Amino acid sequence: MLVSKEDFAKYPFLIGAVEYVKNLDLKTDELSQPEFSAVVTRAETRIEEALIDGITKWESRRGYEIELLSYPVAVIFVSNIDDNYLKKRYSLAEAKRIQSLLKEEVDEKLIEIAISVFGWNVKNLPLEVYQPFDFSLSFIDYLRNAPSFHDYRWKLVNKRLINGEVFLQKDEFSRLISEEVRKYIEKTINTSPKVELNPLLLQRIEHIKQRLNLRKERIRIKDQPQNIISAAYPPCIKNLYDFLISGQHISHVGRFTLTSFLLNVGMKVDKLIELYTPISDFNQRLTRYQVEHIAGVRGSGTKYTPPSCETLKTHRLCPGPDDLCTRIKHPLAYYRRKIRMIRK
Amino acid sequence: MRIKRVKAMKNPQEFIVQKFTEYYRDNANIIPLPTSYKNREFGFILFDKGGMLRHKAFVEPRFFRDFIKSITPSDVYHSAAYYKQPSREMGKKGWIGADLIFDIDFDHLRTPCKVEHEYWTCERCDQVGVGKHPSVCSQCGGSKFKMVAWLCETCLETAKSEALKLIDFLINDFGFPPHDIEVCFSGHRGYHIHIEREEIRQLDQDARKEIVDYVLGTGLKVSLHGLMEVRRRTGHKVIGPDLNSPGWGGKIAKGVYDILVTYNIQQLNEINGISKNMASLIYSQRDKIFKTWNNGNSWGSIKGIGIKTWEKLVETSVDNQSVNIDTVVTIDIHRLIRMPLTLHGKTGLKVISIPSKSLERFDPLREAVAFSKGTLKVYVLAAHRFRIGEDIYGPYRREIVKLPMAAAIYLFCKRAALLTD
Repeated sequence: MLVSKEDFAKYPFLIGAVEYVKNLDLKTDELSQPEFSAVVTRAETRIEEALIDGITKWESRRGYEIELLSYPVAVIFVSNIDDNYLKKRYSLAEAKRIQSLLKEEVDEKLIEIAISVFGWNVKNLPLEVYQPFDFSLSFIDYLRNAPSFHDYRWKLVNKRLINGEVFLQKDEFSRLISEEVRKYIEKTINTSPKVELNPLLLQRIEHIKQRLNLRKERIRIKDQPQNIISAAYPPCIKNLYDFLISGQHISHVGRFTLTSFLLNVGMKVDKLIELYTPISDFNQRLTRYQVEHIAGVRGSGTKYTPPSCETLKTHRLCPGPDDLCTRIKHPLAYYRRKIRMIRK
Repeated sequence: MRIKRVKAMKNPQEFIVQKFTEYYRDNANIIPLPTSYKNREFGFILFDKGGMLRHKAFVEPRFFRDFIKSITPSDVYHSAAYYKQPSREMGKKGWIGADLIFDIDFDHLRTPCKVEHEYWTCERCDQVGVGKHPSVCSQCGGSKFKMVAWLCETCLETAKSEALKLIDFLINDFGFPPHDIEVCFSGHRGYHIHIEREEIRQLDQDARKEIVDYVLGTGLKVSLHGLMEVRRRTGHKVIGPDLNSPGWGGKIAKGVYDILVTYNIQQLNEINGISKNMASLIYSQRDKIFKTWNNGNSWGSIKGIGIKTWEKLVETSVDNQSVNIDTVVTIDIHRLIRMPLTLHGKTGLKVISIPSKSLERFDPLREAVAFSKGTLKVYVLAAHRFRIGEDIYGPYRREIVKLPMAAAIYLFCKRAALLTD
């Protein structure tokens, strides 16, 4: 069903579209030739749209061929620039474009994309029987993407789950596909082979880089404050902290949360170990090992951050949100915001 | 006389090890290895050492069986995860996937009997007592105590009914075929539920967390399941999920229905946010409410009982309908779980695998008995009433009793008895 040039241009990740481009057997050198200048320009605007608007446009005026070919060129550009922010921003912008297009398609097309490209287990539901739901998707495929959406309506517990299938409306299903597309594009960028580009294309890339730097300048996050301000701790951390200093038992997850939080707001390892001393099962060497592990000084070298609010709720470490909590999703975000509020 | 008798008592540790050794000598060959055992990590707790012997892997069942016979572990585990190289250190194992596991342990359950069957032992002498330990031991002045929990039938029954609730979730909501759901009695305080299916192996921690939240009802928003207030000129009306709806909708409705049927005024009043007056109002209007419940999704239009009240009832309903699982176990994709037919070091009982459809009739205290032969005279320091097999024993307090082997070993493992000469 999805075989027209228009479909390929809209959804360049389709297997047919990828094969079509492959069969043209284009070399990157050919891209600097005049007949491809429209393709290269469109690739550049795709990236600019991503940077500025956060969504790429569906541009069919100049023909489907240009639209289709400009996608792999844009991927080559982004991959060549090799900047994490740009990679994420671009993949997301393409995914958003696709989401808005999918909403307009007939159900069968959505199903075909989900099955043929991603191998999902999904069924179309007869409208009269299951209103207002249009699709049923295996919960396993649902959980590939839904957990990254933070709104309560995406939680599995708030979905109709029957016999392993999650019931979804069309806009929800389009959103899930577009998230899978986002990951797919990000992976394509990260795995695309490095290619030598000629000076003309490098010039274009320089231009994109300038735009990128301008954009990054604007969003640069201010450095975190040096002093630790305990008045800005979120309720969960305050709770754990009180437990700790009063020598009460804290679960493993609780200790991890508190330790990683305090390390992230700038507490030194030695100071933290001092804090743990009143605990009855305190063991200086083991505690040091664990704290240093979380700090990223040992082991894999990963510096850990505390779990998100969601995860803390699951482990019953959230004592119940205050006003500010309802606007954030992570204890560190709470801390940063609260500091700004205190300083005002 | 009494002093002489106490002198003749011995710490039973050596005896326990000897019995465990005999068990593995006779039974190691029938212990089934898990599927894809070559890709799993095995772990063992030993009697004489603290900590766990981890990162073991076996390429053939006989190597595992020989190993277990040679070391006599107190507890045996394997990973729910599959690795490329299970014997390497954690970061280098190469995680391939993991089974989906749940742990129901009455440690996590709020059972009213809990205070009765917890006791303490002094680490310096052998003084024992029920309930919370004193700050200093009256016999030796020691200040370090170990808490021990008895196996309690009420708790085991509660754990079992939680397991049955979970199985209902797994079959009806998650769509797992019953024969793919393996239930294991842990040999001590609870049940593990273990699902091995190709398609769930890849689920990451975020996905597993969503499954945990689903069975716990965490983050459930009742408005997303259809509870709302409809205002009409004739008055207000509350509509909610239908009793027959699948998934959480139906569970919420059934839970609220149960509350209305079984709670008295006092119990209704104990629900957070329900005042005494409101409790009496709900209680007196129950029949009227039931009548409206027969009309599909209508939850009633009784004056004074608004949506806020219904929300409070729903909160309690969700609490009652959810399954109390250990959240960490399911989310951890590197978890070790006990192996069926191995022994539990704290009881001397066997880990038993039960087909999910037979769980209801399963009697852990009979079917998990590993040492069914012989009797033994033991000196019991203190023991609560307990059952092993068909018979009930105790309570005992500083006395010599002749017990069947399983009961004697149980008391030894609980450090509640000594060996007599």
